[in-house]
Amino acid sequence: MAKERTGHSVESKKTKLINAGIFLLLVILAVFTVYPVIYIAFGSFKTNGELVGGGLNLIPRKFITDNYVQAWKMGNFSRYTVNSLVIGFGVMGVSLFVSSMAGYVFSRKEFRLKSLIYNAMVMFMFINVGSASLRPLFELAVKLHMNKSLLAIILISAGSGQATYVFLIHGFMNSIPKELDEAAKMDGCSFFGIYSRVILPVLKPALASVALLSFRGGWNEYILPLIFTMTNENLRPLTVGVVALQNAGDGAAAWNILFAGSAIAIVPIIIVYILASKQFMGGMTAGAVKG
Amino acid sequence: MNSKQSLGQRLKKGWDHGDIPMWLMLLPTIFFILVMSVYPFAWLIRYVFYDYNGFKAYFIGFDNFKRMVTDGIYWKSVLHTFEYAGLKLLFVLPLSLVTAVLLQRKRFGSGLIQGIYFLPTVISSAVYSLIWYFIFATYNGVLNGFLQAAGIIKQPIDWLGSSKTAMIAVVIVAVWGAFGNYMILLISGLTGIPSDVYESAEIDGANGIQTFFKITLPMLGPVLKVVIMLAITTAFKDYQSILVLTGGGPNNRTHVMFSYIFQMVFGTSAAAAQLQIGYGSVLSIVSALIVGIVTIIYLNFSKKMDDIS
Repeated sequence: MAKERTGHSVESKKTKLINAGIFLLLVILAVFTVYPVIYIAFGSFKTNGELVGGGLNLIPRKFITDNYVQAWKMGNFSRYTVNSLVIGFGVMGVSLFVSSMAGYVFSRKEFRLKSLIYNAMVMFMFINVGSASLRPLFELAVKLHMNKSLLAIILISAGSGQATYVFLIHGFMNSIPKELDEAAKMDGCSFFGIYSRVILPVLKPALASVALLSFRGGWNEYILPLIFTMTNENLRPLTVGVVALQNAGDGAAAWNILFAGSAIAIVPIIIVYILASKQFMGGMTAGAVKG
Repeated sequence: MNSKQSLGQRLKKGWDHGDIPMWLMLLPTIFFILVMSVYPFAWLIRYVFYDYNGFKAYFIGFDNFKRMVTDGIYWKSVLHTFEYAGLKLLFVLPLSLVTAVLLQRKRFGSGLIQGIYFLPTVISSAVYSLIWYFIFATYNGVLNGFLQAAGIIKQPIDWLGSSKTAMIAVVIVAVWGAFGNYMILLISGLTGIPSDVYESAEIDGANGIQTFFKITLPMLGPVLKVVIMLAITTAFKDYQSILVLTGGGPNNRTHVMFSYIFQMVFGTSAAAAQLQIGYGSVLSIVSALIVGIVTIIYLNFSKKMDDIS
């Protein structure tokens, strides 16, 4: 701290000017980045007339909440919100369950097929056939009569994200000393008992990251639920519901509902982000770079 | 009797050693790999030889491949994929690197600015693309409003509807949505560089730009390589945002490989087009190969860079 202060006093006028310039550029970029979110947040309180009229006014001329009421009632957004919550929490639950167990096993056991399973996960992370791979899964779900509920969406979303979360947990597991397991084993804990009683409590920070990232993944899922709910509007989450309005009828007429719907789709996840931004960013780096 | 007992004993031993619980705990992961990855892949390879519209499948041999060779829209979409990925990387990588270096040092508001840059990453790309769709709107969009008020343009630009500007608009949204993510990854790489290296450079009188090229960049190397790799593979498989912004239009100008395939396999939202799932399977496997080749080329390139330096 003291060092920094002496550093500042030595700084010449030129460096100060450069620093101010850099700061200004960073702020301009920040305004550009956050603008769409603020624009939609304020816009959702504007009248449709004001929205369609355009213009540069950010703050609504007349502040109304009617858009939300309309979206909630007529636009079926109450239903969409429930679906989004179910998918988000469902994906989170499945991901936590699957990745914590797999990460624990990969970190603590040596066995013959280990590298095969691990490599298969890595390989299929990079082999990307896009949405086409959802076609067989969709037809499979129809055959098993699983396309009438959100279960298939939850499982597929969790399954396609699992590799990242397994790597994240595995990396964190490797930093937990094995002596901990051994001590528990001495006390008579079984392999599963060590996991459930000793490891899970220690894993909490990593589990929090997986919970956040997988909830975000489920909440933000678009193509997958779009495909699965093409004929079943009642299962649509917010993402699919609000984008579907874009193409319904003559777009411009429903801008107010679209704005309110978009706000409903992004505000909850932004609140979660504001409350837990450190874990969000930390989890992101742990899963991607160290995995 | 005897063999049964030994089986029972083996089971007991397996249970005590934790082998059987281990496999039970891995079961969900293995299930997901088989059902979500292996099965669809095998399915697609089978349908490569069929004409399949979702109801009936006809075996047609190699006709799908023949069709692909002469499918101008597909090959244009391949070109667009390279154009899109190239433009996105051209802006996203320098931007995330510069912001990472500038924000890694604690300065006034750096935490908040970092948080804002990362914000798009937590929002669904489908919804933020919809928001940008409003911003780009020709007559009531705020972008044209701003440019006209500032006197930069006289006539409103049809950003998403004109073949001259649609790709630019799509890339702007992609860069906006992605640079904060890579910035955070790079910042975590930068914090791994020991501070005494910087201190000795400062003592030696190195200025900011010299420090960046002589110290930061080489020491960031390993992380930077992973980030570039991630950025490349992501850029080549993006299509969700494009579907919402332009649906591949105007006149296929923004169709990338995977948005074109999506419409083959699941139809367009506008019209109940005839599904061509077999043909879509061919295109998706060829597209996956193209992305694979690009990735391998990059990996070889980054290895060569290692050997030189």
